[in-house]
Amino acid sequence: MTSPPPNVAVQVRDLRKSYTVHEKDPGFVGSVRSFFNRKSHEVEAVKGVSFDLAPGEVVGFLGPNGAGKTTTLKMLSGLLHPTGGTARVAGFEPRKRETPFLKQITLVMGQKQQLIWDLPALDSFLVNQAIYEIPEAQYQATMREFTDVLGLEGILKKQVRKLSLGERMKCELAAALLHRPRVLFLDEPTIGLDVNMQESVRAFVRDYNQRFDATVILTSHYMADVTALARRILVIDAGRLVFDGDLASLAEQSSGGKTVRLQLRQPISLAELSRYGNDAKVDGLSAELSVPRSEVSARAARLLADLDVADLTVEDPPIEAVMAELFGSSAPIKQREHEHVAG
Amino acid sequence: MTRYLRLIRIFTGATISAQLEYRANFLGAVLASLGEVGVALLGIAVLFGQPGTVSVGGYSFHQALLVVGFFMLTEGFISVFVQPNMSKIAEAVRTGSMDFTLLKPIDAQFNVSTRNLNVLRVTDILIGLGLIVYAASFLTVTVGGVGVAAVMYLSALVIVYCIWLALSTTAFWFVKTQNMSELFNGVFGAGRFPVTAFPIPVRAFLTFVVPIAFITTVPAQALTGGLSPLLALASPLVAAVLFVGSRLFWKRAVGSYTSASS
Repeated sequence: MTSPPPNVAVQVRDLRKSYTVHEKDPGFVGSVRSFFNRKSHEVEAVKGVSFDLAPGEVVGFLGPNGAGKTTTLKMLSGLLHPTGGTARVAGFEPRKRETPFLKQITLVMGQKQQLIWDLPALDSFLVNQAIYEIPEAQYQATMREFTDVLGLEGILKKQVRKLSLGERMKCELAAALLHRPRVLFLDEPTIGLDVNMQESVRAFVRDYNQRFDATVILTSHYMADVTALARRILVIDAGRLVFDGDLASLAEQSSGGKTVRLQLRQPISLAELSRYGNDAKVDGLSAELSVPRSEVSARAARLLADLDVADLTVEDPPIEAVMAELFGSSAPIKQREHEHVAG
Repeated sequence: MTRYLRLIRIFTGATISAQLEYRANFLGAVLASLGEVGVALLGIAVLFGQPGTVSVGGYSFHQALLVVGFFMLTEGFISVFVQPNMSKIAEAVRTGSMDFTLLKPIDAQFNVSTRNLNVLRVTDILIGLGLIVYAASFLTVTVGGVGVAAVMYLSALVIVYCIWLALSTTAFWFVKTQNMSELFNGVFGAGRFPVTAFPIPVRAFLTFVVPIAFITTVPAQALTGGLSPLLALASPLVAAVLFVGSRLFWKRAVGSYTSASS
């Protein structure tokens, strides 16, 4: 395998992972039967995924539950060994888990915690300082920055078990980034947090990314996380990469077209509006309808000519709607061609 | 090396602070220690309380007491250093926090073996040492005997750790393994008696299959100068083989680890 050029932080080629899973029939009898005779079969969780990430790039990893997002993140961090294909992260092969590699990455999982439950977060930070051999001056400087950006003042000395979920997540992030990793794997970092906490987690990740030019791979159920942080989106479905591009072109992939919003000076009937597009809605003098992407300008011109329009805006459909459509329908989705660097 | 010593110091500081959070637990731990020593002493009291019994398996009362002392000391070692760490392995596999351990740039086996201490059970160690000193004061003990006993007992501690590690490592495949430590405790209970007190098949089992004999009987024999040279050589050898074997087993388990999916 050729080593990736220095401007590639993450290089993934045809990455695959299959698991053996055990099946159990429901009920007591099923349990007994499965205790003595386990039926198992192979499940392919990741079926050949390829992409490159540049240093400093932030990508959102989207896909329905069980699509293979977490499995891919775990292979890139070195926790799982791929059953096929190759991955290189920061110039290393993750599965070897070499010390210089581990010092450059971090994995944050919103549903799991590494902080010591019975002690203040500060004690966990000191443990990590020792494990990662962080020099005292750098530790102090990083702590000052993190305390500032995350608003950790006053919660660092409280036992972790007494912290709220949001406070705990902030401390988890600080613990995970204390060694200033260059590649961040964030798996659902805002899960269960309220809107304000989600926002401060996002602000922190954005700040860290800019300050240290770190590469970030983020999975989330909250579209706001992705739209706020990532310029590039990877969509994975049933173990395959089905989309790789920016947010705008993800919206274009949806057949739903664009949303046209109108402010009218004269009321209009729903039937009349429906002649100009689909899913028409009328609410007093406000109206909206969906227009095929290719006909947006023609339809808009007709609307402006035919009706007494005070204001007209054209918008992409909300990303939630796009995702619902992507994963709701089984329509084939075009995949961006990949230029393979390594053979 | 100095780095790992520094880590031990920091881990120890953290785990002791964590335990000081729960002060009421201390009373429970002291009662548990007293319970352990009570049961062990009751065992030999019953044996030697039979009219006309002066020795069991060739052991006088004070020699048997010496075995009980090593048993308690080992019990203390397990309660303070081994079990608090090993019982967390299964938990970490089940909750997925093992992911974090494996991604730390330090040896993962070192990490899982040194993170926790149950300082409250230090009383077991003190009781064990007390019993050994008391029993030895009735027996002829040479300086050489103490030296050999120290080497034998050090090997014994390595053996104990390795068995626990190997049993706990099965958690990577079976996830729930409390019964594994029960298994160890059940068999280890035999260690409160000199192995020579058991019929020969049992004695062979406790020496060659589960090396309990090396943990309590061999150090006691070494202290009183009754140890055969063969056993004296075998003990460190068994320890070394188990250490390498359990390490390979651990590596294998980590290699096949498929962490709990979130």
